[in-house]
Amino acid sequence: MSVIAPNFKLSEFIKSILDNLFWILLIMALIGFPAIQLVLFFIEMPVINGELLTPFLALTWLIDPSRSLPIIKAFMTTDLFRVAAFPGFGFAALIAAGTIFVERKMLAKLQLRVGPFYCGKIEGILQLMGDGLKLISKEIIIPAKADKPLFWAAPVLFVATAAAFVALIPVAPGWVVADVDVGLLAVFAVIGFFPIITILSAWSANSKFPFIGGIRALYQMVSFEIPLILSLLGVVILTGTLNLSEIAASQSSFPWIIFLPIGAIVFFITMLAELERIPFDLPEAESEIVAGWLTEFSGMMYGLVQLGTYLKLYAFAGLFVVLFLGGWSGPMIWPPFPEEIITEGIELGPVTAQFPGLPVFSQEMLNGTVWFVLKTVGVIFFILLPRGVFPRIRVDMLLDLGWKKLIGLAFVNIFIALGLLYAGILGPGGIF
Amino acid sequence: MADAAFLALSVITIGSAIAALELRSLVYGSIALMGTLGGIAGFFLLLDSPFVAMFQLAVYVGSIAVLILFTVMLVKRELIFKKIEDKRRKFVGIALMLVMMVALGAVILDSGIKQITTDEPAVDFREIGEDFLTYYWPALILMGLILSGAVTGALVLARRVDEENGQRVN
Repeated sequence: MSVIAPNFKLSEFIKSILDNLFWILLIMALIGFPAIQLVLFFIEMPVINGELLTPFLALTWLIDPSRSLPIIKAFMTTDLFRVAAFPGFGFAALIAAGTIFVERKMLAKLQLRVGPFYCGKIEGILQLMGDGLKLISKEIIIPAKADKPLFWAAPVLFVATAAAFVALIPVAPGWVVADVDVGLLAVFAVIGFFPIITILSAWSANSKFPFIGGIRALYQMVSFEIPLILSLLGVVILTGTLNLSEIAASQSSFPWIIFLPIGAIVFFITMLAELERIPFDLPEAESEIVAGWLTEFSGMMYGLVQLGTYLKLYAFAGLFVVLFLGGWSGPMIWPPFPEEIITEGIELGPVTAQFPGLPVFSQEMLNGTVWFVLKTVGVIFFILLPRGVFPRIRVDMLLDLGWKKLIGLAFVNIFIALGLLYAGILGPGGIF
Repeated sequence: MADAAFLALSVITIGSAIAALELRSLVYGSIALMGTLGGIAGFFLLLDSPFVAMFQLAVYVGSIAVLILFTVMLVKRELIFKKIEDKRRKFVGIALMLVMMVALGAVILDSGIKQITTDEPAVDFREIGEDFLTYYWPALILMGLILSGAVTGALVLARRVDEENGQRVN
């Protein structure tokens, strides 16, 4: 390994850090705080402890750590936080990033390789960051005869559609970005956009390999959408609702996979096909058509498509958990928040600090999130596993599987659900 | 707010419909068609029927527009369309459209749509489903038979005999 910085001097390093700190503080004081103040004047402020928050109060409270908690809590109830951070994009992107690293490392271990190793000393833990920096800094090359507007729009649209899918997945009771009454139908509508974006990006690159890959992706996604929709109808029949939060809440005593295992298996297989994962990765078959419909993407455009793919993977795994594995339900394993901190505050030697506004999250929410994440990670593991085990299948076998076998099995699943419903065992007015 | 959304949706829908007809590039034309169909889904959302809106998106944008795109990309344009640039045809077409619009608008305005009170809560899709399964069941069964007949017919038409070479047989 070569030395990265041969002329490294600790004193210069510390000096540069201090320099940066000085300038950041100066710019913050002269421009940052006035700008924040100006913005705060124009947005609607919440009422905290019976007192309307003004921009002056907000800045004062943010500096004081013992009084900033109510402001943070008020911020967490806003839509912005939900969309950008917790059940929405940030959370999903975090899980997606973890998925990418685990996939590379696990695949390497399955195939008796080492995988990412040098970056970050410990088992290549910083490889992902390095890859991200590389993708951002690389030049974006557009093929000469490409259709430029579509080619530029495709990666952005892909990420946007994947984020719309993520927004529909409930993570904990009450913690979902878009709690719509027809949630499952919205999922079907969003899934329908992926083949369009794929084929448009493939066509716009004006190159052979992307177009072949795009046509394959279209074949695959369109034909597997039908068993996907059919396999989920059993759950809808038994719960009598399309709202994903209600479907998750209906499984507090047992998950639907116990009664509808065929539906779960069909949904899992169609999920693999929709995600273009091995053994169904014909659209990206790297040994035949370079990288399929991703061939002409370079730099951060490829990074965006990759981010969208893994967001989609998380959303599908979350959908599987919500529909078949009981969502957030599970035994209470999260310890309750200690009472004495709320009543007496935290004692640090002679100092006692009171934090009004604790606890930030309720116990149910934290417990639900833990169970949801555990189950989702388990499902993601099972999605990743075939990549180390199975070869790619032929396109005629794929279509045969989708149109003949999976649709039939999905109907069997629907009849099982109907039988359970009309026998009075499950569903509205059933025994359980 | 609703009025602004309605106006924006109308502009998107009608604008992309005109674009779908007028654009020379067939792929962009089908994208514009997608915009029209999505705009109609937006109208359904404004009318408090998200169920229909989601089906509009899933069926029209998700499937039919994809089929059109697929066809446009796989078929050579010169084979299916001959360019007929004729000013008179265009004007006659626009005149026909105007006549149709005026006639349909007169019929709709005359049908008592003005007396509908808009404060009532939206009809739940569960009620529609119940009505379909109880009062309107013959219509449902008829629709089911027609659709399954169409699917069977399509399957019969699309059927072809595989030549028996070693690669195709599993």
